[in-house]
Amino acid sequence: MTTRLHRRQFLFLGMGSIATVLAGGAVVRSMQASSRGSRPAGAPRLSSSAGELELDLVAEARAGTIPGGPAEVLTYNGRSPGPLLEVNPGDRVRIHLQNRLNQPTNLHFHGLHIPPTGSADNVFLRVAPGGSTTYDFTIPSNHQAGLFYLHPHQHGVSADQVFGGLAGTLIVRGALDRIPEVAAASEHVLVLKDFASGSGNPGSAMGMGRMLGREGPLLTVNGTLNPELSIASGGLLRLRLLNASNARIYQLALEGHTMQLIATDGGAIAKPEPLEELLLAPGERADVLVQGNQRGGSYSLQALPYQPSGHMGMGAMGRPAGSGSTLATLRYSGAVKPLALPMALIPVPEMPAPERTRRFVMGHAMGGMGSHGMGMGFQINGASFDPNRIDTRVELGSTEDWVIVNNDVMDHPFHLHTNSFQIVNSSEQLPAQRAWKDTILLRAGQEATIRVRFQDFPGRTVYHCHNLDHEDLGLMGVLQIDGKPS
Amino acid sequence: MVTAYRTASCGCCKGWLQHMRANGFQVRDVVVADLGAIKRRLGIPAQLSSCHTAQVAGYALEGHIPASDIKQLLRKRPAVVGIALPGMPLGSPGMESAYGKEPFTVMSFTRGGSVQPFSAHRS
Repeated sequence: MTTRLHRRQFLFLGMGSIATVLAGGAVVRSMQASSRGSRPAGAPRLSSSAGELELDLVAEARAGTIPGGPAEVLTYNGRSPGPLLEVNPGDRVRIHLQNRLNQPTNLHFHGLHIPPTGSADNVFLRVAPGGSTTYDFTIPSNHQAGLFYLHPHQHGVSADQVFGGLAGTLIVRGALDRIPEVAAASEHVLVLKDFASGSGNPGSAMGMGRMLGREGPLLTVNGTLNPELSIASGGLLRLRLLNASNARIYQLALEGHTMQLIATDGGAIAKPEPLEELLLAPGERADVLVQGNQRGGSYSLQALPYQPSGHMGMGAMGRPAGSGSTLATLRYSGAVKPLALPMALIPVPEMPAPERTRRFVMGHAMGGMGSHGMGMGFQINGASFDPNRIDTRVELGSTEDWVIVNNDVMDHPFHLHTNSFQIVNSSEQLPAQRAWKDTILLRAGQEATIRVRFQDFPGRTVYHCHNLDHEDLGLMGVLQIDGKPS
Repeated sequence: MVTAYRTASCGCCKGWLQHMRANGFQVRDVVVADLGAIKRRLGIPAQLSSCHTAQVAGYALEGHIPASDIKQLLRKRPAVVGIALPGMPLGSPGMESAYGKEPFTVMSFTRGGSVQPFSAHRS
């Protein structure tokens, strides 16, 4: 396994100071462990050991290094994306967040099934500029293996901070990783993120402002333009994709290769699902295997043109149509005895029948009630976000169907905190297999039904649009889960 | 007379219609299912599109354009297909919001594909 000891708190300050960090013997072992599966320009991997992972996480602006990119990038521990954390079920995680930004911030552990309260996944925490707090929680012993996403969730500025660069990843190891064919694949975590160009945000001049959600023209993978991924002829790659963009939706394709989906947001699916294209909305993750079944050459991981809200006849609404972009390049090197795909993965159980059905209608309108008073804003069921109002009250242990309706003229990726769900109905195509999701893209005019069981953790949390400009402009509701933890 | 086309679910188009009426324009409000077809017929470039489309005196109008710009268009009569405010900038007419204001630029466009700034607004 990859876990190695580094019990002490320590701090990465970017490439320039890794040498300092390497001075600690325990940390050296951790860095060596991280060399498994070379990662293109990847962030440092910090793995738990002896059931613990403890680290400092400093949020601060740094000079940007992306060619043609913004002068300033918001970083965790000097990097965008920040560190990759790696834990096992049952591990205790302690993250000392220091806010060196000029505005309040906090952390959301997107997709993790941990309490939404206290010092765990509590998005109502506010860390003032110059302040700090410690997140302290335990990964449940039965937690699914998967790729999860750390990002700020400070209402009103979450889009600024995510668009500015703040992101981190967290891998929970488990049964999926122990399937021999999956374990044999070389693993890469790919954080997809767009940045504004250095000449300023063209968005405002061309109308690509907050109402549509800000997108930037520079498409990075792990903070780099067009990094290279190496594959051997006959080899197997495991690409773990996260869309950490503020608003950009990626229609992904890998030239000359079929992607084999093995896990969605919340964990594994039952068997590999072959995909020629993969749609990934902000906050969504996908885990795919790629077989090195070409003899050689270079192939591009492409972001194909995606037309937001196209079927409503809205066109790109203020976005240049453009052609496909290369996100990364897959380059063949060497040859190995062909590695096989797994036949079966992890069964996804059918959920219990729902005890009730609710309806959530997303849109934008004038005069929504909410903490920002009157004026244009986004709404769910006619109300803009108000942290002091409970919109939905559910019972711990119950199962519900939520019909999510996008009655708007643009796309909305809907995200629910704390509990993963399954999509059980949709006005567009249903997923080919039952799958664990925490974010679902609803195109303009689309509606879908998600089935969710509120398990283990009572407390107050939220559901919202993961186009974070939309979230900041009111498209969020408060969920109260009533009950006693078992 | 301004003829405005919008979809039924648009939450901000009506605000722009009110702004136009408040500035002395007569407005015909037409709700359509396929706004894309209207945009194509009127020659709105895809990258300039917004949530509603309109026509006045042979010019195409796209988005939350301030009435003052439309009056200027009708005074100057430039050789363009129309003018557009792409997207839905906060603070533009019909998009007034307590969440803030964004600067925006109204663009003119021609049949030949030329897109030029028409007027800049600091909002």
